[in-house]
Amino acid sequence: MIETALKALFILLYATFVGFMFMGIIRIVTARIHRRVGPPIYQPILDTIKLLSKKSNITHGLIYDFGILYAVGATVLAVMFIPLGNVGVLRAYGDLILITFLLEIPMLGIMFAAMSSGNPWAGIGAQRALLTLLAIQVPLGFAIVALAEYYGTFSTYQIVMAQQTMGWSIAHLPLLLAAIAYDLVLQAMFGKEPFDIMIAPGEISLGPMVEFGGKHMGLLNIQHAIALFAETLFFSNIFLGGGVVTAFASPILNTIASLGVLLVKQVAVLLVATFMAAIFPRFTIDQAAKFYWKWPTIIAALGAILASL
Amino acid sequence: MEEITFRIAPESKVRKKPSFLKPWMSIKYLFKKPVTIKIPYESLEPAKDYRGFHTLNWKTCIGCNMCGQICPARAIEMTWIEVDGKVEKRPHPKVDYGRCTFCQFCVDVCPTNALGFAESYMLTTEWKDEELQLFDWVPIPPETFREIQESRRDWRFPVERIKFNKETKEVTYYLKNGEEFKFKILGYGLKPPAAAKPKPAAKPAAKSVEKKEEPKAEKKEAPAKPEEKKE
Repeated sequence: MIETALKALFILLYATFVGFMFMGIIRIVTARIHRRVGPPIYQPILDTIKLLSKKSNITHGLIYDFGILYAVGATVLAVMFIPLGNVGVLRAYGDLILITFLLEIPMLGIMFAAMSSGNPWAGIGAQRALLTLLAIQVPLGFAIVALAEYYGTFSTYQIVMAQQTMGWSIAHLPLLLAAIAYDLVLQAMFGKEPFDIMIAPGEISLGPMVEFGGKHMGLLNIQHAIALFAETLFFSNIFLGGGVVTAFASPILNTIASLGVLLVKQVAVLLVATFMAAIFPRFTIDQAAKFYWKWPTIIAALGAILASL
Repeated sequence: MEEITFRIAPESKVRKKPSFLKPWMSIKYLFKKPVTIKIPYESLEPAKDYRGFHTLNWKTCIGCNMCGQICPARAIEMTWIEVDGKVEKRPHPKVDYGRCTFCQFCVDVCPTNALGFAESYMLTTEWKDEELQLFDWVPIPPETFREIQESRRDWRFPVERIKFNKETKEVTYYLKNGEEFKFKILGYGLKPPAAAKPKPAAKPAAKSVEKKEEPKAEKKEAPAKPEEKKE
């Protein structure tokens, strides 16, 4: 019992810390592509500390507070379900549909909070976020179907184990197509540039985030960090072979090695997303919906069909 | 009638095709050196004759108020000054950096080249009254300014602190090189205040005279402005 609690705590702390480092990496890489130096890598942590230590916290009622907690809770729960190398609290139960669902819940939580603030910008942002959410469902669904069809299971952990013997998912053509579609979807899930329509800084002044400040924004930053970690982790688990290393005799060494391998894979996923964010301009919401229902859907559907043959 | 043909580039030569792959070219900048000046560690040299703060040669200034007339922001006001107990015959310009736009028209128009400028351009203070005094000064002589600028090369305002004693009307500039620069401001405007007129009065009387002058000096200032416009 205590061991499980300790494990959960370890996963939570690790996810938060690495998530913040990911946010720092995003800022540095974006800055380097712009030929700037950028902030130090721990800058998001400082930002969050500063936000959490603000004196005034504006609240607009119960739902406004609850939505944020809901988002954070859902993200934490998602991290618990995704297998993290050998470490995992609920990894035996983490099936693809559940995790995919849990990764989208935070957006709903933020929507709750934003809509209850009564700010028109937040309303527009929420509208756009929900439409994005709707648009990414189709390719996401097909990608998941392709995976499940190919491996014959919905369990993420079993998919990771299957990749140990069969090679990485992206080595197989149907799953490669699914991975490409999923990668395009990741861009919207991260809230990164071509599809950051819901946040749209400069266009609708941060959209849903417009009313948040102080502790709410700090919690949202933490949520974003954990979500970054969870999404990259999920992608590298199902498509990049996960990270279960059994090369060493000692279990601790094995754990550390698998965490390291996973980290490299996660950073690779993150870098692709950051590059795309740095070089492509933002879509409008109708273009994004059309795009998601067109190319990623076609690619993912092709993958699903090929997988079922 | 001659026919004129205008060259217009055809649209086919101007318009580019949208591409998915070309934006990826910009990733090459990831590995190039950032073009950034890390300001606290590196410094940027301003161009020669960068329009910065003013310098004033107190010996050659003839108090003609040309600078005050041309100043588009009316940042320049003539000031009657007493240095080392000796009243200057002519008023000197006082520049208010709260209003100054650094166009340096005053420098161009100065007939004796008494007003000049140096490259220093940084002046930051907090919102304290005694620090805000820094924004209002009679420029110091160019030699002193240049010396401070060359020795520090941080392109900041050469004065650390300005102290204005309201009772004795004594102004002290604490310069960045540790020197103190003292003088008295007797009055403002074009017409000399009563204290500025050479009057070898008895010394105990001088103080009471000075106090009375304050309102007078201000009153004189008011009519002085319409005069400027007439000119």
